Amino acid sequence: MALNAESVPMRWPAGPLDIARREKEKGFSADTAEVLRRWLDPASLAAVQGTPVNCLVVSWAAGLPGDAGQQQALKPLIDKGREAGLGFVGLIEGEANRPAALAAAQSAGLSAVALEGDVPASAGVPVIPWSKSAQVRSTASSPVLGISDGLWPGLPQAAAATGGPTNLPWVDSNGAVLLIARTLAPDKTVWIGFDPPQQANLAAEAYALAVADPASHGARWVISLDDALRADLTAKKQSAADTWKKLIDTAVFFEQHKQARTYQPNGLLAVMSSFTGPDWDAGEEAINLLPRIRQPFRVMARAAGASFTGLQAIYYVDQEPPDAGLRKKLMAFAQGGGTLFTPSKWPNPEGSPAPAEPYLLFNMRAVGKGRLAVCKEDRPDAYDTVADIQNIMSHRNDLLRLYNAPSANFLYETSAQGGQGVIHLLNYSRRPGSDGPLFYVKERHKSARLVSPEIASPAELQWAPQEAGGAELSLPRLSVYGAIELEK
Amino acid sequence: MKQDLTRRELLAGAGALLARPAWSRAAAAPTARVAVARCKTYGPELVPAMERMFDQLGGLGGLVKGKTVAVKINLIGVRWQRLGNALMEDTFWTNPQVIGATVRLMGKAGARRIRVVEGPWSTTESLQEVMYSMNWKPQDILSAASNVEFENTNYLGQGKKYSRFMVPGGGLIYPGYDLNHSYEDCDVFVSLAKMKEHAATGITLSMKNVYGTTPITIYGQDAGVDEPSLRPHGGRGGVFHSATRLPSKSAPQQKDMSLPKDAGFRLPRIIAELNSARPVHLAIIDGVKTATGCETNYGSPSRPQAAVNPGVLIAGTNCVATDAVAMSVMGFNPMADRGTPPFATSDSMLRLAEDLGVGVRDLGRNEVVGTPIKEVVFDYTAVREKLLAAQKKG
Repeated sequence: MALNAESVPMRWPAGPLDIARREKEKGFSADTAEVLRRWLDPASLAAVQGTPVNCLVVSWAAGLPGDAGQQQALKPLIDKGREAGLGFVGLIEGEANRPAALAAAQSAGLSAVALEGDVPASAGVPVIPWSKSAQVRSTASSPVLGISDGLWPGLPQAAAATGGPTNLPWVDSNGAVLLIARTLAPDKTVWIGFDPPQQANLAAEAYALAVADPASHGARWVISLDDALRADLTAKKQSAADTWKKLIDTAVFFEQHKQARTYQPNGLLAVMSSFTGPDWDAGEEAINLLPRIRQPFRVMARAAGASFTGLQAIYYVDQEPPDAGLRKKLMAFAQGGGTLFTPSKWPNPEGSPAPAEPYLLFNMRAVGKGRLAVCKEDRPDAYDTVADIQNIMSHRNDLLRLYNAPSANFLYETSAQGGQGVIHLLNYSRRPGSDGPLFYVKERHKSARLVSPEIASPAELQWAPQEAGGAELSLPRLSVYGAIELEK
Repeated sequence: MKQDLTRRELLAGAGALLARPAWSRAAAAPTARVAVARCKTYGPELVPAMERMFDQLGGLGGLVKGKTVAVKINLIGVRWQRLGNALMEDTFWTNPQVIGATVRLMGKAGARRIRVVEGPWSTTESLQEVMYSMNWKPQDILSAASNVEFENTNYLGQGKKYSRFMVPGGGLIYPGYDLNHSYEDCDVFVSLAKMKEHAATGITLSMKNVYGTTPITIYGQDAGVDEPSLRPHGGRGGVFHSATRLPSKSAPQQKDMSLPKDAGFRLPRIIAELNSARPVHLAIIDGVKTATGCETNYGSPSRPQAAVNPGVLIAGTNCVATDAVAMSVMGFNPMADRGTPPFATSDSMLRLAEDLGVGVRDLGRNEVVGTPIKEVVFDYTAVREKLLAAQKKG
């Protein structure tokens, strides 16, 4: 099967290379090695039959003596899988002999290889750039971009008992890096790789969240199972089958709702950056934190020339000031009534000081009908920055508010014409709260429908109009994921 | 309601009182008048009910005419965590209608300036912003009288420096507190509280509301070590509940580090001494709609919560007396102390405040006017038992 936007990937560790790479790890056992051997058996492919998984990512070359043996050992699995309509992607890592690995991949009929570092001009086989999140660029011809350093989503183990400055717990999410990747490579499908924590005895909900976190951000997780689950699945244990079913049901759900992947994040605030070099951190941190303060936002690449229509504010992140053309466009936005947030390096700021608006982190300047907010500090705290931006923008204009879901993030996306929208709700605690989540929605909509892998069928939600305007939507308690489909 | 003493005179008097032994200070603590009104809704009946209560207390004019008034409201906790679908203002927070009515009646009584104050959780946002985030209309409060302002007192805010309030007699835990300037700038200090239970202190009424005057920049989890931080981050638990960290060194420090670290010991004392250091001139308790169980959404199987409608307002010229009446309305004995509900695991903040000479909790020594207490009793213990029984049934 050729690699395309519909490819649903799963990491398929099997064979001598995976054993060689793993056997130096603490806790690696003979049983684990045996499972890795057994997953070479074409019969093991039965696990993905009838599931959306149609592309297996196998270890192909790592610059170890076992590379050639690995490729040889995989042959029966690949042949049988291809007969069954599965695609195979070979992962080429480390100090691998790339020309040899690419030639072997072509010869073995792999759909693609996933390659760290520079992509060769002519590889003879499609190449998925397999990069760290900060290095993702849309330069390759492959329809898929890979991010290799995803996070296992959830509440961080070490900080589970503590809250952030808002007293909402910190959460580990891949949302920020995926939204950036989508912005930088709008025509690509983004895959993200992360492995489950080993020896964690993961609940089925943990796997459901691992699927939902990337999927709700328009990307695909390269499904990866922990050793215990893989062993138990091999041994046909019921508990493992149940966990696998939950994972697959969640993946099926997102395949059935793939229309939402065409939607774009929406909000009154845009975060604009090149998302490169030293500016990547500040942009990523802002996008990571905005969901924690419940501020819907859009992401804009500096060079893209995106429309500012419907925005109330733009946060220009980069230390390097914009070129003259972009600065003119940004200032026109502010003069027209918007608020432009800039870093401290903003030479010759336009407008006049507005001392009546004292904020801790930004000096406010009046420009036309709008405002220019220049940061007072060269290296401001990321949380304080987004908190002040939200404060200056004012809650008066909030499009959405979320209550009763302290461990949840939401992502608001709308269709190109704005007639349809979706609010993805991800519960990183993986446990339903004592009360169901509650959304305030400012704008009037014709309908709101809850969809979730956790409910049998879509449920129409009732609008509870609020005295001061807007309406609230009450959701049932959700363990991991639900989405509100909105129609105007 | 007369307020003829200046703040200096008031504090001097309190200082002399504190020189006496506790039993003697308690005996000499001021008694007060407390008004009770039935009020089932925040609708048209609210303003007349409040006006009637203030008249029964002697009228607001004597207290606020020509004065700057600070009204400490209660916007406790993480605002994104409601009790089910119930609104914050109908459960944990002072209702905006009650705030607006208070401001309106104070303006009508001739207040020169009214500053609505509170330290909302972990933010430098203005109170207007916090209200907007709850879909309130802060402009309704701002326009309810002339010269109405808001100030977030969880940090320095509009001030240039923090104001120091020493506890007359030297204090029980801390000798004094550094607070936002708004608590010094005012001639009249009003505690506009909600009628609630509290997980650590049993009750949270007008006295406990004053606990929220303490700035997070000094008393919060991420407060500066030497000087106050610029921004409020986190809660007060580490400094006040458990003494796992100290306030910023710029503020008065704990008198004796060997004191128990149990919140049931510390919090009632801190609340009592705060009310002694920054006396409340008018206590108003919103018990129209509220929550049982806890002060915010901290419920647990043993402390189930419910949104309730006791339909009562209480106001008085002394915070101890007013809270004592509120306790009676909640079905508790105001003379109760540690071991007896609502003070199952804490000391009585009322008794401690009485010992400091702040006021008297014995209803027989205070004057209760308006609707008789027995007509408005809303039994919190009965609600809890009902919730526990329902929980047991599953």
